[in-house]
Amino acid sequence: MAEKAASRIWIMRALYLGLSLGIVFFQLMPLDIRPHDWAGPDLLLALPMAWALRRPEYVPALLVAAVMLLTDLLFQRPPGLLAFLVVVAVEFLKARSVQMREQTMFAEWFSVALVMLAVMLANRMVLALLMVPQPPLGLTLIQLAATVLAYPLVMALTHFAFGVRKAQPGEVDALGHRL
Amino acid sequence: MARDRREDEDYLGPLKRLLLGVLLLCLLAIFIVWRIDSPRVERLRARVVDVVVPSFDWAMAPVTGTVNVLRDFQSYQRIHKQNQELRRELQEMKAWKEAALQLDQENARLLDLNKVRLDPRLTYVTGVVLADSGSPYRQSVLLNVGARDGIVDGWATMDGIGLVGRISGVGQRTARVVLLTDSSSRVPVRIQPVSEQLGVTQAAPGQAGLIMGDNTVAPHLSFLENPDQVRPGDRVVTSGDAGIFPPGLLVGQVVKDSGGRWRVRLSADYDRLEFLRVLRNPKAEVIGDPGLLILPAPVEIPEGVAEAQAAEGNDG
Repeated sequence: MAEKAASRIWIMRALYLGLSLGIVFFQLMPLDIRPHDWAGPDLLLALPMAWALRRPEYVPALLVAAVMLLTDLLFQRPPGLLAFLVVVAVEFLKARSVQMREQTMFAEWFSVALVMLAVMLANRMVLALLMVPQPPLGLTLIQLAATVLAYPLVMALTHFAFGVRKAQPGEVDALGHRL
Repeated sequence: MARDRREDEDYLGPLKRLLLGVLLLCLLAIFIVWRIDSPRVERLRARVVDVVVPSFDWAMAPVTGTVNVLRDFQSYQRIHKQNQELRRELQEMKAWKEAALQLDQENARLLDLNKVRLDPRLTYVTGVVLADSGSPYRQSVLLNVGARDGIVDGWATMDGIGLVGRISGVGQRTARVVLLTDSSSRVPVRIQPVSEQLGVTQAAPGQAGLIMGDNTVAPHLSFLENPDQVRPGDRVVTSGDAGIFPPGLLVGQVVKDSGGRWRVRLSADYDRLEFLRVLRNPKAEVIGDPGLLILPAPVEIPEGVAEAQAAEGNDG
């Protein structure tokens, strides 16, 4: 039983990595090269947040950092900065995952939206301070709105498709600790 | 409820926090190093892209192909109408083909008379588009040719018709092309009025300008010498100023946007960038010692004077 639970953690971590690489793969596909005046949701931001609130042990900081650093490098972003902010945000949510368990879906949505906004603002502020050329504010806001709107969908997929659910009262982990 | 667990892990907690701190410091250090010494980190980025993207390629090519087939499939619904349109266009094309063949023959005769050699240095390497930038903020594509094929930063890239962008970031097996639509793209151009198209386009002076990408389909045209003389439909070609791009490459046509600003409708087909040509551009010849050009042979002049004059020439 304990072995099964331990292997499940590793399977779910691998699933997170696989999903992230899948998202990267689809974003890199050269389907439409013309520039748009809108931007889709940043699922790579929403996914670890949704998981961190449900099962913090499935998204270890090191894994999130590795995925975000890789995408920083692949998507021509300033390397390290967004990875840093996302790891901080995910750890912040992890620390609140126990309290958040009793909250409603809407409370979770609202707090995640605030965290996303903070990540975006911090990112733009650091870039402005260091005088790095930035994408237009409108596009960033559209992407933020799209990510916030897509979050319930990510929540639903996380819950129903991937089976990452909030721990029930009395549930124990591999070593018999309460979650 | 979580208290008993926390007590159990008391010895692990500080260690975990320490590791998290180290991780965050590392990420921050990468960002700061990038800000201080960007070229080195960009080389690292090119190397990472070089390793990661080609390993996706085996899956990316078929999936991209499938999606494109599905899109084409939607167009089958209009196939009858399209077929008729195509036939009509084909008729027109036949007339054009006839005209083109005649011009081709005439051109060949004239070239033969002149013994002209078209610029022999403009050879090219053709690459396939592997991936795009993956981000809505950056407009670039990744080609499957790199340092291995002799690609060098700064070379111009075209599709069959017009300029597409320039190489920026070369890995061993891949090279990134920053498109003209990217907000960091700046290319010096010349605007050739429509009437001059009938004459010799290469030699037509035209006025200089700069096209500046701004993340829209049509880059902005600015730094014009005389904006009043520009007309919609004028041809835009590279000017070759700054010596990075060869002069005379077709970029597109001038259009006016709803805000009254001049923009360039690009000739390259940005809908379907699939095969791109990277133009080899050997550096312009550098004259190292100006003294040798000006001075006569040093035989007649005493050595001291020759040296002094050579030094003067170098200073000038």
